[in-house]
Amino acid sequence: MNVREATVVAGLIVAHLLLRIGFGLQNAAPDLMLLALLLASRSLSLGGGALVGFCLGLLEDAFSMLSFGASVFALTLVGTMGAQVRHMFVGRSIFFQSTYFFLAKWVRDLLAWLVSNPDSRDVFVDHVLIESPVAALYVAAAGLSVRYLFLKDSARE
Amino acid sequence: MVGQASGGRKHRRRDFHIVLGLLLLSLITINLPFEAQREIGNALRESVLRPFIEVQLMVARTRARARDYLTVRAQLDSALTFVASAATLAEENRQIRDLLDLHERSPSRLVAASVIRSGTSGSSSVFRLDAGAGDGIRSFDAVVTAQGLLGQVQEVGPGSSMGYDWSHPDFRVSAMIVTNEGQAHGLVEAERGQFREQDRLVLRGTAFLSDLEPGARVLTSGRGGVFPRGILIGWVGEVAGASAGWDISYYIDPAVYPGAATYASVHVVMPADTLQAVANTADSVAVADAFR
Repeated sequence: MNVREATVVAGLIVAHLLLRIGFGLQNAAPDLMLLALLLASRSLSLGGGALVGFCLGLLEDAFSMLSFGASVFALTLVGTMGAQVRHMFVGRSIFFQSTYFFLAKWVRDLLAWLVSNPDSRDVFVDHVLIESPVAALYVAAAGLSVRYLFLKDSARE
Repeated sequence: MVGQASGGRKHRRRDFHIVLGLLLLSLITINLPFEAQREIGNALRESVLRPFIEVQLMVARTRARARDYLTVRAQLDSALTFVASAATLAEENRQIRDLLDLHERSPSRLVAASVIRSGTSGSSSVFRLDAGAGDGIRSFDAVVTAQGLLGQVQEVGPGSSMGYDWSHPDFRVSAMIVTNEGQAHGLVEAERGQFREQDRLVLRGTAFLSDLEPGARVLTSGRGGVFPRGILIGWVGEVAGASAGWDISYYIDPAVYPGAATYASVHVVMPADTLQAVANTADSVAVADAFR
């Protein structure tokens, strides 16, 4: 990971916390934390991706009173998968990258739903099949914007 | 080449062990006792996330200041009218209590706070208040709005606190309903709707023969000593179900919709030492009055 990528990843994490916690925008802001993890894990080893996912999950769960640890588990797995995907696919196209961001967000929400407290989680159909795909589209759009605005050179490499 | 290949294998094995360890750790995190989870969350909020929480409080205060001045003025006027009319009732009440030789109630006060929602996943039903231990707030204090009961404080920091509203699965409150035939009692808890907006309250455990009229006021009974007596929870709705002729449950139309609450007050019960200090002050005032 070069300096520019590291700066963008750190910036996305700070922006996520600032928008969602500081300004209380909730789902009106895209999941930039996940985006940061996906961008970082593409240049990290499996263990590195999992470690970054674990730490970001802890930050995400710091406000959770309903299902503490669900984000930790989901982001650890997504970080691992993000690092693994690099060995399987070398994609630069808009289609590949948007699909990558979309699927990652959907899988993250699915995993978090699976390990959440059954008493408190939303109905499967509403959460995983309706809300999550919409949020995933939002993440994909934000991911493409970040890629082509700040990491254009890295995307070409 | 052989060395590079074995080095790569070693790296992959190490990575595999790290991933396995972290996954195991994340599963342990999920199954940690609630107290331990709370400690971890609190440590993170007081360290790494502190600047973002400060921004959150700053934004909440700025929004509060930017509210329509005339609305606040109107609310203040209404409150003053209510206080003025309540003064006579309070005096009558004091005289009647004196006649009946009843003890004074434990004094309590309300601490005003802004209700702030954090936007991270898994934090629905949870809110932050921009008042904390410094204002006298303690864990399990009741959080009320002008309309009625909103929820309960859970964790208290020096300048802010965290709590959950009635839609949280762990929320319970002892309730009473005053009817023409007397009082009915039960336990109010949240029932999840298909969407979060459909969450509602259910009154469980009322006697099977208690026939509650729809629209009857449901108040906190004060049993259990957590919530003060007499706070409005909502109004009786339709029958939710009955269990084998033993008890009957009712849906409750809530007095407060959690999403609509932006300001609240925390019902702070004054601790014993403060009570003693108040009593001492009252005694000294009485002595001073006697001298005059």
